[in-house]
Amino acid sequence: MRSLIKKLKLNTLKTAVTFKSCWNYLFFDIPKSWRTDILAPPLRIGVKTKELITKHYLEGMYANGIKPVAWVTSGAPVEFLKALGFYTLYPENHGALCGARKVALELCQEAEKNGYCIDICSYARTDIGSALSGKTPVGRLPKPDLLVCCTNICQTVLYWYQVLAHHFKAPLVIIDTPFIYTEASLPDVEYVQKQIETAIETAERIAKRKLKFEKLKEVMRLSKIATELWLEVINTGKNIPSPISAFDQFIHMAPIVELRGEPQTVDFYAQMLKELRKRVKKGIGAVIKEKKRVLWDNLPIWYSLKLLSETLAENGICVVTSTYTYAWGELAPMIDPERPIESMAKVYLHPILNRGTGDKLSLMKRMVKDFRLNGVILHSDRSCKPYSVGQMDQRAKIVQELKIPAVLIESDHNDPRAFSEKQVLNRLKAFMEM
Amino acid sequence: MTSGKAIVLPIRYPRELLRAFGFEPVEIWGPPKVEGTLGGSHLQPYICSVVKNALSFLLEDGLDDAEIILVPHCCDSLQGLGSLLLDFIKPKQKVLTFYPPRNKTEAAKNFLIAEIERLWKELEEITGKSPSQQDLMRCILEEEMADRLTRELYMNRERIGLSSREFIELLRKREYLHPKEFAKEVQDKLKITKEKEEKVRLILSGVLPEPMEVLDEIDAAGGMIVTDDTSCLRRRLLQPGTSNRPFERMAERLLSAPPDPVLGCSLEERIAFLEKLIEESNAVGVIFYNVKFCEGEDFYYPQVAQWLKSRGIKTLKIEADISPPLPKQVSQRIRAFIESLGGRA
Repeated sequence: MRSLIKKLKLNTLKTAVTFKSCWNYLFFDIPKSWRTDILAPPLRIGVKTKELITKHYLEGMYANGIKPVAWVTSGAPVEFLKALGFYTLYPENHGALCGARKVALELCQEAEKNGYCIDICSYARTDIGSALSGKTPVGRLPKPDLLVCCTNICQTVLYWYQVLAHHFKAPLVIIDTPFIYTEASLPDVEYVQKQIETAIETAERIAKRKLKFEKLKEVMRLSKIATELWLEVINTGKNIPSPISAFDQFIHMAPIVELRGEPQTVDFYAQMLKELRKRVKKGIGAVIKEKKRVLWDNLPIWYSLKLLSETLAENGICVVTSTYTYAWGELAPMIDPERPIESMAKVYLHPILNRGTGDKLSLMKRMVKDFRLNGVILHSDRSCKPYSVGQMDQRAKIVQELKIPAVLIESDHNDPRAFSEKQVLNRLKAFMEM
Repeated sequence: MTSGKAIVLPIRYPRELLRAFGFEPVEIWGPPKVEGTLGGSHLQPYICSVVKNALSFLLEDGLDDAEIILVPHCCDSLQGLGSLLLDFIKPKQKVLTFYPPRNKTEAAKNFLIAEIERLWKELEEITGKSPSQQDLMRCILEEEMADRLTRELYMNRERIGLSSREFIELLRKREYLHPKEFAKEVQDKLKITKEKEEKVRLILSGVLPEPMEVLDEIDAAGGMIVTDDTSCLRRRLLQPGTSNRPFERMAERLLSAPPDPVLGCSLEERIAFLEKLIEESNAVGVIFYNVKFCEGEDFYYPQVAQWLKSRGIKTLKIEADISPPLPKQVSQRIRAFIESLGGRA
């Protein structure tokens, strides 16, 4: 088993891998090793999270030649691909997985060895490093038959997917979503809708089948239900003590990103919600002695989840929720399964990263009020400019207007070289004293 | 009909539209000689100096004489700057935005026409003016004439014999001069014929050559920028439109831009464009002069450089901040690069 662990840690597997053999090593370590004197025991649903994601990557290993494969950005309108029977892979999620498994640095360095600058997004470097070297902790990634890049999360993906298209010689569909400074206009929606229609035609050609409208509606319906359930999961954090922390959410958000539009995702979040409601009933908090409740802004620092979670919990601080995880639920009301294409155009125009900095401040203020929070931690993420620009002003406004402490910590979601543990902990210490 | 100065951030916008409303568009690429501290109170250290300096300049009241500020959406940092200005900084000038689409499809063209119309309406509201279609078409034709002369300048670059700095400075006058004044300067230069000098023929690629001392270094080492692949110049050299409808014609022009990462061009398109530049100019080397933290340039560089190397074209990558002075290390690398290509030792 040890040698398998070694192989799986970062290797191109030469032999077939079974579900059973990779079960323990494919995804995040469920926080069983995290301190249970200050944190609640891990959610039981964690076993299911691992199962879903393990199955997903295992299916991916053997998808080529069996199913059409699409690599997609996390904010791409994936529903039409699901309805056409595509296996979808999310390089960002794979990047996060590599970050959490602490293998991202080696993959980033693979990309850097090949000339990719250290300043480009660490998810992209992780993914490109993996594509160039064939190394991945999930054994093997399927080659894409199609790449779908939606610019609603950043402009970085536009460049990143051009690199992938060149590397894999795969067709690339770009769904360009105009940035919403104030509100989306009709031409914005029409433009995105038209691009989705064209993307469907391309996907149909690759899948060699026609999209069935009823199937698309069904996938949209499942997407909507799962998204609503995820939002409910996050909203259990409004209880005091909160049965869930943002760190739990980071771990359990993989299915809503990766398996949106599938029945198993609906079942999964229904089960998770049930477990959390039981915790609420019993008064179980994610942090055992919850004294203060805070908001996390921006992506997680994947390689430091345990350190941050425990450091904060030691001081009775529960990071109740985050703008990042909330983003995967807040648009649920916009999803209309009866008008799937128009609805996709609207929904995928509106993720948090495609809206203005003032809009994000309003969201943070609402979350502080609704979740009864006492402070905000803003992760200034070197690898995510669209999320990070505006944080300095947002922080100042939160302090001035809400009269609560807010701290900015500098780091990077996947590259540990940009994480100065001492500096971050010092800043958090000062924050915790406020 | 004058409406005052319009400050425009990089990179892409319908210049003729602003002119039709009587604005004098003045582009702000940085500017380089600005202390970035004020911008640093709103922007993190990993935001490029073009954006940070522009914000510093604004906060130092350097843009006080401007009536409007136009922030085209051309990258994540410019997106953030536009949003910050609208939501938090709220300068006294009206802040306008413009979104150039990232593909060249019919849907993109229709969106772009709508986007130009939106900007038109906002300018009508601000100025209370409504230029006629003829006025607008005249402004478009003036810009097309300036583009045509720019192309001529590139074609005759060697004959007119300007130094690299003189050549680039002349081209960059387009960032603030009226097209007629620009045309006059270009026409004057096109009259010059100088004897051909033996120099190492180079292409400059990247966003912009700042500080401009980099060009002096190239010349001093025996090199010459024969053409460029920069966002501020060649990648914005547009084709004339064909439509008689002004909005559509402006959209056609913007969509005719050469490949640029910020527009989401493919690597193949970029390579093909560089191949064309190399054929036209007989360049033997390419200097990738990248502004630190400019992701677009950084993503494309490895593959483009690899292709150039496979063609026997030498490359040098430099990463720099736009603010002077030019680091000595950069000067030395440029000198060594040009020397290795047969320049002065």
